[in-house]
Amino acid sequence: MLDLFIGNISSAISHEILMISTENKELASRYKKERDNLIVISEKYRHNINPISDILPDKDIEYIKSKVKNKIKSELSSRIKKGYKNINLNIIEELIEKYLRAVKVI
Amino acid sequence: MELISKISKGTKMDQIYIPKNRPGFHTGEYVKIIPVNERPKDNYYVYNIKEVPPIKIEIAKQIFQIIESMINYDNIIITGSFLDENFKFNDIDIIIITENKKEIEKSIKEKLKIEVHTILFNQSLLIEALKIDPKWRLMLSRCISKKRIAPLPQRKLKYRYLDVQLIESKTLMINFNYLTGKEKYKLTRNMMAISMFIKNKNISNKSIEKEIEKELDTNIEDLKNNLVTNDFFKRYKTFYSKLEKEIIENASKQEKDA
Repeated sequence: MLDLFIGNISSAISHEILMISTENKELASRYKKERDNLIVISEKYRHNINPISDILPDKDIEYIKSKVKNKIKSELSSRIKKGYKNINLNIIEELIEKYLRAVKVI
Repeated sequence: MELISKISKGTKMDQIYIPKNRPGFHTGEYVKIIPVNERPKDNYYVYNIKEVPPIKIEIAKQIFQIIESMINYDNIIITGSFLDENFKFNDIDIIIITENKKEIEKSIKEKLKIEVHTILFNQSLLIEALKIDPKWRLMLSRCISKKRIAPLPQRKLKYRYLDVQLIESKTLMINFNYLTGKEKYKLTRNMMAISMFIKNKNISNKSIEKEIEKELDTNIEDLKNNLVTNDFFKRYKTFYSKLEKEIIENASKQEKDA
């Protein structure tokens, strides 16, 4: 369950960073319904990870953050290597915080 | 010049609403009101739907009326699962072509007591969306609109944009065992629409479903009813990887040429 949770959060953040980096970001963000689905699915998984009603222990938070960060970096780095420009890797940590807070992990 | 409108009930006085964007009938002018004997025909256009149940037409008309009374618009387009043959829709997708940025979704929900999802576009952004994004072409391929819709503009391949759109379909590979049939269908449809858009094929629900059956060797009803197995998953993964590779390579080329 934890792996699925990490997979979804990583995918949602990679998607957001790629979206911000396109010249058509206004258009890319227009139809939010499908993208919000990833958050809804992540929330479902979160409800199966203990402690359900409290934030996770520091050790687990660090583990999740590091796994999510690696997954996002790998997804985006392959594109940067191919020549993608304007992908801002500096916002990864800020977005991880935002998303984990949204699904009450931290 | 004449306008036909309905008298609606008010608290202290009744009223007649007329569209804000109208030639003549300026604010402050005096007008004469006379009754018409027949109920005027409501104008709307139906695209690629064989038969729309009267109840859905009635809801569409109410949506048009509510929006008309709130903002100026160029067109109102109702699309999405609301137009499916059954009544299993979660919400109603409403595209409003307008320069207005006023948030009206909440008001429509309150008046209709139905979940709606409004998407506001101005004319130029909608044209850009139709040029570069298969999702919007698909949405307009089957819809009910208040005014006639102009023919689709020529497509323009922006691979980096398509890359962003394709990532949504990765969700199926991460969550295959936990998704419903409806979710799997939507994610597969998104991926196939992108593939067909690149190949310059006509995009509609019907054509996409045919392509899914052909390319992923699966029965569309099995996919919708969540009866697909690991074999489908493998074919999906192969198709996705190939498409992703093609998109990233072309996006890199476009980036270098820019």
